[in-house]
Amino acid sequence: MIVIMKAKAEEEDIHRVVDTIESLGLRTQLNLGAERVVVAVIGDISKIGEDNFFRIRAMKGVENTIFVSKPYKLVSKDFKKEQTVIDVEGVKIGGKKLVVFAGPCSVENREQIMEVAEKIKKAGASMIRGGAFKPRTSPKDFQGLGEEGLKLLYEAKEETGLPIVTEIMDARDVQLLSEYADILQVGTRNMQNYTLLKELGKCDKPVLLKRGMWATMAEFLGAAEYIMNGGNENVILCERGIRTFSDYSRNTLDLSIIPAIKDESHLPIISDPSHGTGKRSLVLPMSKASVACGADGLLIETHPDPDRAISDADQTISLSAFSKLMEDVKQIAKAVGREL
Amino acid sequence: MIVIMKMGADESQVQETIKRIKDLGFNTHLSKGENRTVIGVIGDVSSIDESDVERLRATPYIEQVVRVSKPYKLVSRDFNQENTIIDVEGVEIGGKKIVVMAGPCTVENKEQIVSIAKEVKSSGATILRGGAFKPRTAPKDFQGLGEEGLKFLLAAKEETGLPICTEVMDTRDVKLVAKYADILQVGTRNMQNYALLKELGKCDKPVLLKRGMWATLKEFLSAAEYILAGGNDKVMLCERGIRTFSDFTRNTLDLSIVPVLKAESHLPVIVDPSHGTGRRDIVKPMALAAIACGADGVTVEAHTDPQKAISDADQTISTADLHGLMGEIKYISRMFGREI
Repeated sequence: MIVIMKAKAEEEDIHRVVDTIESLGLRTQLNLGAERVVVAVIGDISKIGEDNFFRIRAMKGVENTIFVSKPYKLVSKDFKKEQTVIDVEGVKIGGKKLVVFAGPCSVENREQIMEVAEKIKKAGASMIRGGAFKPRTSPKDFQGLGEEGLKLLYEAKEETGLPIVTEIMDARDVQLLSEYADILQVGTRNMQNYTLLKELGKCDKPVLLKRGMWATMAEFLGAAEYIMNGGNENVILCERGIRTFSDYSRNTLDLSIIPAIKDESHLPIISDPSHGTGKRSLVLPMSKASVACGADGLLIETHPDPDRAISDADQTISLSAFSKLMEDVKQIAKAVGREL
Repeated sequence: MIVIMKMGADESQVQETIKRIKDLGFNTHLSKGENRTVIGVIGDVSSIDESDVERLRATPYIEQVVRVSKPYKLVSRDFNQENTIIDVEGVEIGGKKIVVMAGPCTVENKEQIVSIAKEVKSSGATILRGGAFKPRTAPKDFQGLGEEGLKFLLAAKEETGLPICTEVMDTRDVKLVAKYADILQVGTRNMQNYALLKELGKCDKPVLLKRGMWATLKEFLSAAEYILAGGNDKVMLCERGIRTFSDFTRNTLDLSIVPVLKAESHLPVIVDPSHGTGRRDIVKPMALAAIACGADGVTVEAHTDPQKAISDADQTISTADLHGLMGEIKYISRMFGREI
C-alpha cells in the first residue's frame, strides 16, 4: 500500500500516519519527493483491512491511499497457474470444449420446460437453465414457481440427462436448491450479497457468479474470492452486461472483460448475451463475438414461443433460432481453436 | 410524436395543447385513457424543430413528449437499403472485404512512419493510419508534427501504395489534410464539433467518424447525418469505446453497437480495439470479436517498437504482432464468407 501525502502536509501529519501504520505491525518507508512525501507500507498488507485503509485515507494531510496488491488471492493466476476445469455431471467447464447453458428465463410449466429441454439437447446444449426463484424488479411481477419449478427442472433432467443451472436468491435456500440443481447461479443483483456468497462457499455445488451490473473487475473477482475463501473452489464467472448511459441495449455487454479475466484468473468465464443486450436480434452476433474473444461458454435464454414468455420476452430467442446459433458458434469455436 | 398529458390535466389544457400542435402545422389524434390523455401528432414530424419539442415538454401539465420517428434519415437503412461501399484508392470498405487500418498513434519522423508502413503493407493490412494533428488531454503533451507529419505520411504512401487515414481537428485544416490524406478521421472528442462536421460534409474525401465516448446510438448517427446532409455520403462509423465506471480498460468497447449499426444504417462500421480497451494484451481477442459480430473492419495502433511510441504506448501492438493478428483475422473472416 502507498500513502500519498498532500503537498502541504506537515511533519506531524506524516508522523501520525507512520505511527498508525506501524501500530498495525507493518513497516514504512518514506519517499521524499520534491513536492510531497509518499509513504510506502511494507509487510503483510492483508493486516490492514478495508477499514484501516479508509481510516488512513481520511487522516489529516493525506491526499490518497492506493492498494498495490490485489484485494483477492485465491481466484488469481498468481495463486494458481493452471486453468480451473469444473466437472458437472460429466460436462467440463473451462476446458477446450465450450459449454452452452440454455433455457427459459422462468420455468413456467411442465410442457414448456420439457419441450425446451428436448430441443436444446438436440441442438447440442450442455445444460438446461431456468429460473424457479426470480428476482423481479417489481414485487408485483411473477416471482417464480419456487420448489415446484425445481421439480419440473428435475423431471426435464431425468428425461434428457441435461444438468441444471438455476438461480439462488436467499441463503436459506441453499440446501433446497442443492437437492435439485447441479450449478447454483448468483444473479447480478446478488453479486455482493455476502451472506449468500459465504453460504455458497460452504456448499459442494459449483456456483455460476454473474457480474454485478455496477461491478468493476476487482469487485467481481472479490466476490468470487468470497466463495472460494469459504472452501468452494468451483466458481464460474459470467459477464452479463453493465449499466452505462448507452440506451439502445438493456445493458452494455463488456466483452473486453473476458480476455482480461482470462489473464487475471484461472476460473472459467462465460458470457450472457441475452441479458447483456436485452435484444433478441443481438444474441447471435454477440454470442459469436463472445466466443471469438475467448469465452468458455454461453448462457442463452430460449423459449418455445418467445413472444409468450412470461419474462424477458424481448431477449429470448426461439428454439429454432437457438439451433442455428449453435451451428454458427461451432464455426467460430473452430476458428479460435475450441470445440462445441 | 406523442404528447402525454399529466394525470389530472383538464379539458382546457388538453385543448390548448392541441391548438399549439395544430399551429405548428400538424394534425392530432386524441386518445383518452382511464388516467390520462395522450395526443398523437400526425404529419411529417421530422420537420418539427427541436426547440418546439422542448417548449411542449416544459409545459407544466405535459408529462412527456416522445419522438417516435428518428432524428436522422440519410444515414438510415429506411432511406438506403443497399450497403454503402466506399472506394478508397482501390480499397473497398463496406463490401465483402474486411479492411484493416494500422499504424502508429502519432507520426514521429519520416523513418518511423516509412518503416512502420512497410510492415503494415507486408502484414496484409490495407490502410495506413497515423496522427499528424493530435488531440492530447494535456496542452503540454506532444501535439503532433502538423503538415510535416502529413508529408511523411505521403512519403510512406508513395513507398508502399497504402492509402492514408489521419485525423483532422480544425475546420481550417480540412483542405490541407485533404490534400494529403485519403480518409479524414474525426476523433471521439470532435464527434459533435458541428462546425467541423459541416465542413467535412462539403469535402470530397471519405470520413471516418469515431463515436463520441459519451454518445448514444442516436447521437452517433445524427453526427453522421450532419456530414451526409452536407453532401458527402462517404462516411464510415467507428466504435472506439465509451466512458463507463469500469476501470480495467481505458474505455468500454461497446461491440453490441456493431450489429445494431449494421441493421440501422447502410454505412460501413469499423471497430477500434486499441482505444476501445487501452490494453495491448487484449487488442487481438477484441479485434476478432469485432469481426465475429459483423464489423467491416478494424483500426489498430501498431508500431515497430511500441515501448518507444511517443503516445498510446500501452495500447499499441508491435508490427510483429500485427502480422499474427492479420493471420487470425483472415481465418475468422473466411468463416463469414468475407476476406481481407
